Amino acid sequence: MKIQQNYDNDVNLKIKRRRWMNVGLIYLILLLFSVLFMGTFLFGAISSLKDNPGSWPPTLKTEQLSLKNWIGAYKLARQGGGSGFFGELKSGYKVSLEVTYKYPKGIEIQPPQIIIPKRFKGTGRTALELDREFTADFVETKPAKEIDRIPEKDGTQVSYKVIVINTSQKDFSELPLDLVVPYKVKFIKATLFPNRIERLGMVQSWNNLVSGVIPYVFHNHFRVFNENYSRSTGKRLFTTWIFNSFFICIIKVITTLIFASMAGYALARLRFYGKNTLFIFILFSMMIPGQVTFISNYLVLRDGIFGLTKLFGGGSLLNTFTGLIISGLVGASAVFIMKQFFEGLPREMEEAARIDGASTYQIFAKIMLPLAKPALGALTILTFQGVWNEFFWPLVVLTSPMDKFTLTIGLLSFKDTYASGTFDWGPILAGAIISALPVIILFIVFQRYFIEGISFSGIKG
Amino acid sequence: MENKWSSLKEKTAPYILLSPFLFGFIIFFGYAFIRSLYFSFTDYDLFSIPNWVGIKNYINLFKEHLFATALRNSLTFAIIVTTLQTIFALLLAVVMNQKIRGIRYFRAAYYMPSVTSSIVITLIFMWMFQRQGVINYLLTIFRRYGLIIGVFLTFLVGIQLLLVVREKLRSRPVEYFEPGYIILSIILAAIITYVLKDFGIIKPIEAKAVDIFWLNTREKVPFWGGPFAFPRPLGAIMILNIWTTTPTFMILYLAGLQDIPRVLYEAADVDGATGLQKLWYITVPQLKHITFLVVTLGLIGTLQMFDQVKIIGNQAPLESTITLAYYVYQSAFPGASAPKVGMASAAAIILAVLTLTVVLIQKIFSGEGRELRD
Amino acid sequence: MKRILIILLVLSILSIFSVTSLAGVEVRIVGWGGVDQSIVEELINIFVVPELAGKGITAIYEPIVDDFQKNLINSLSAGTAGDLFYMDIFWAEYIIKAGQVEPLDDYLTKSTVISKDDIIPSLLNAFTFDGKVYGIPKDFNSLALVYNKDLFDVAGVPYPDENDTWDDLENKLAKVVEAFNGEVAGLALAPEFARFGAFAYAAGWEPFVDGKTNLMDPAFKEAFNWYTGLKEKGLGVMPADIGQGWGGGALTTEKVAAALEGAWILGFLRDNAPNLKYGATLLPKNPRTGQRGNFIYTVAWGLNANSNNKDAAFKVLEALTSPAAQQWILERGLAIPSRKALADNPYFEKDTPEAQANKIVFLGASAGNVKPFKFKEYGDQWMNPINIALSEVMSGQKTADEALEIAQEQLNELMK
Repeated sequence: MKIQQNYDNDVNLKIKRRRWMNVGLIYLILLLFSVLFMGTFLFGAISSLKDNPGSWPPTLKTEQLSLKNWIGAYKLARQGGGSGFFGELKSGYKVSLEVTYKYPKGIEIQPPQIIIPKRFKGTGRTALELDREFTADFVETKPAKEIDRIPEKDGTQVSYKVIVINTSQKDFSELPLDLVVPYKVKFIKATLFPNRIERLGMVQSWNNLVSGVIPYVFHNHFRVFNENYSRSTGKRLFTTWIFNSFFICIIKVITTLIFASMAGYALARLRFYGKNTLFIFILFSMMIPGQVTFISNYLVLRDGIFGLTKLFGGGSLLNTFTGLIISGLVGASAVFIMKQFFEGLPREMEEAARIDGASTYQIFAKIMLPLAKPALGALTILTFQGVWNEFFWPLVVLTSPMDKFTLTIGLLSFKDTYASGTFDWGPILAGAIISALPVIILFIVFQRYFIEGISFSGIKG
Repeated sequence: MENKWSSLKEKTAPYILLSPFLFGFIIFFGYAFIRSLYFSFTDYDLFSIPNWVGIKNYINLFKEHLFATALRNSLTFAIIVTTLQTIFALLLAVVMNQKIRGIRYFRAAYYMPSVTSSIVITLIFMWMFQRQGVINYLLTIFRRYGLIIGVFLTFLVGIQLLLVVREKLRSRPVEYFEPGYIILSIILAAIITYVLKDFGIIKPIEAKAVDIFWLNTREKVPFWGGPFAFPRPLGAIMILNIWTTTPTFMILYLAGLQDIPRVLYEAADVDGATGLQKLWYITVPQLKHITFLVVTLGLIGTLQMFDQVKIIGNQAPLESTITLAYYVYQSAFPGASAPKVGMASAAAIILAVLTLTVVLIQKIFSGEGRELRD
Repeated sequence: MKRILIILLVLSILSIFSVTSLAGVEVRIVGWGGVDQSIVEELINIFVVPELAGKGITAIYEPIVDDFQKNLINSLSAGTAGDLFYMDIFWAEYIIKAGQVEPLDDYLTKSTVISKDDIIPSLLNAFTFDGKVYGIPKDFNSLALVYNKDLFDVAGVPYPDENDTWDDLENKLAKVVEAFNGEVAGLALAPEFARFGAFAYAAGWEPFVDGKTNLMDPAFKEAFNWYTGLKEKGLGVMPADIGQGWGGGALTTEKVAAALEGAWILGFLRDNAPNLKYGATLLPKNPRTGQRGNFIYTVAWGLNANSNNKDAAFKVLEALTSPAAQQWILERGLAIPSRKALADNPYFEKDTPEAQANKIVFLGASAGNVKPFKFKEYGDQWMNPINIALSEVMSGQKTADEALEIAQEQLNELMK
């Protein structure tokens, strides 16, 4: 008896241990897969902070994420009179930057030359601001002051203090700086790491010393919003695109919910002539790619739906949200999902209501719709996701002006703005990450519905 | 009177309920499809009135080099991507089908690529596929540390075998993938590899950085593939596509897995079946109808691949990425020459027929298809 | 809930049929996005509005960001195209032959602001078909040799100059490469006819003889071998080999001593290498012919043949290409305008690198054997075989003879 119990305990322990091992292994595998699926986004998001995300080797180490640079950016912005997180260079304030170089043997030690450059953009929509005021015309610099000197085996490390004073009555949001040293002198460190090191290492160049921590870290993200604006209306394009996408999504979700449940109910429960044929056509249409029908649809919108829009005083529906929405009021697959759902519902309540003399419309609105909440939830999510990510049809319909774009098409235009010639990956990645955010947030909040929606549409379909 | 009115209301109800849907469906699908069919027999160019040319467009299509390339690319893409993503989705679902804490968060994490738009994903991947990008960098690391990784894996397998065989000799019931032993083997192999590296017995190789053109190349892979080789940029899009769609299909499989009766597995356990046997003889057949659905959706989705080609654009040679869907768009809206709407429509009709045929063939082969009907 | 839904539905339907109304004559101008949008909108503000506001004419610029030609052709077919639009020499021929562009001769003879004689002839000729002028060139570009001064300074090699022949340039590059132990490549060599072609022209090659293209011409081969030979000798590198898409990108990496680009590189350098010390000079001369070659890249204003406001549109065109407007563009270094009279503008004597580079580009358009960047109606299809040959030879996949033979076959196929 005792022996038996001992043996049982032993076996139990073994089974337990085995289960734990099993769980551990599964977590390990799950974690590995998470790296695979999430890693891409994380890598992209982190790299979008870099000055040059295209640099080799592509590491996760980012100057914009180092505590040292945060402290540096904070200090400099405070010195300039800003809040530290958002900086500026106020009238009368003084900014001082410490920088260390290594002078190899045989090169005369002399302080770096200080230049406050007048930079204006060469491409993009800001290129024409040639006549604006430059910080350089209003600030004073003093020759760099040596503050430390450490002799080393093969040379000397020398630290300097660079001081810039705003002697004018104006406040500036920007203070760019270039330091020039002779060839072969090596830059070691500075209060804030330079944005670029150029000309064989001779020039260290800062975009803005007083930007403050947040604009420093999210430099590319700020560019996405600031550099893309409509010159005719002054509106920020990226914000407009986000708004457009939301607007179209909401309208289409509403029309889809209403029309798909109406059509789905009719197909599921009502008798009418041609029902089966219609259903087969719906299935058929779900298999046909959008490219098959787009030419005719393009022409239909171009001509304003056989000239119907002329009745309302409109013209071509190309480049209008109306065109985009009206051609996709409700998708066949949405109708299909609702039909499958209504067919799965019990008939009793409906029949009882019919006996009580309720009309079809009443049954639909008062009985069936409330029952369809789970399906409508799934459909909302699916439609929102589908419309938000839609690419082909907006590409055909919306070409100009840019403030009519949806986010997907706007993002495609980044390839023109930032990639003519060489890819400026910073703002491209930043834009991509920002535009993925709304859906990702939505997904995290409504995660359950997303996953139910997929399996729902799949299983029932 | 009242009665007549309400009976009329009842009779028209289905049509009224359907009308908003039918409005769009008839104009933007039915009419559009018929018009595409009509255009495919004409020489329409958006400017002048279409002339009937018979099947000339179809004949010209098959003579055209670019169309042949597009057709080939589309088919290769559809077959490879559908196969791989189905297998991965199934395997991933089996791994995910656990009742353990936090599985929901993993599920959410995996599903992330599927909720983001193609443009976002493609831009990020284009960045990773640069010559001096992340993918080449990871490959470089593999090349440099390949020896060390190899040593680690050898020890891992060796130790695992040793442990399992020892147990088997003592005639205890163990599996080759006994989880406890795997963890033990990983730890041991890691320690041994670390020690070997520390003593300088094995070293990372001083190899040059991997420099593969992923996008801007006309090269075909695999190099031994002969007539079955496909352009490498298309391969890059395949990787991207599998990565984004696998999670969606994983969720379908997960739902299916939960419907498989546990009894089947318990019976198999009694018979002493191994994990692999259970997967092959129970899970796969039980999920047959889901597989049909996944393959069908996969084929439909892959045959209309367009976004990635458009987004990559001039970063890759057109012949290396063009698909049928893109060919249609490109012929209808070309850059510097006349729009060839007739040719585009003919290609569109071929695309439609191809999609239907492929779905039908796979329906016949799988002996399934009730799902689509009921 | 239901009520809200209904209200939303009604609102959405209302918004669908919202009406836009037009008043007065509005001339729609269609062109590229990016910096062009800024330039044209600024031109409208400064030159069009004061001139034409009183006459009830307003102008609006509609930039097209993605695939300009495609959008233009679509909108022409839809009848929704702008009244004035950009026409790149590279593809203008197609839409002109499709009858979509208004001939401008009658307008020009009446005009007091602009006449045919004001425009640099080679530019105007590029847009003249069957004796009729279809576009007013707005600006142009040509290729220059843009070099990184630091690399030459450190290596102690004199800068390339306008007296250099191919051999001189090669020697200078070789010295720079040697001084940096091969860590710097000499010239950024894009495997594209758009760059290489200038050298073929310098050797005296004609792209079309009796409607045919002959790649077996010794002049072509001479240029081909020199261009691809630079790569082979380690004196040149394809931009893609150093992770860049074009010569400008290659220059910013400071890994090449020089690149062959037009004035479009200047704005790019401003953004991406604001401190780069660069210079520019004319392309080197072929040692045998003593000639240079070059391309002219030019974009013209076209007038929509189906426009309802042709006269108003031409008025806008006049304002956009008036002497004052073109001078404004030049003096800001935005582009090199097409009026002959601007050749003596003091801007070209300015001592900034940008002004100097612009001057070289201006001179390049008339130095030696220069041809417009267009290839009959073939466009890209004509250049593609040559581009493939260049890239295959330069990446060592084929010998020059093999590659050119294949390219010749494809061209014969295209032009039969």
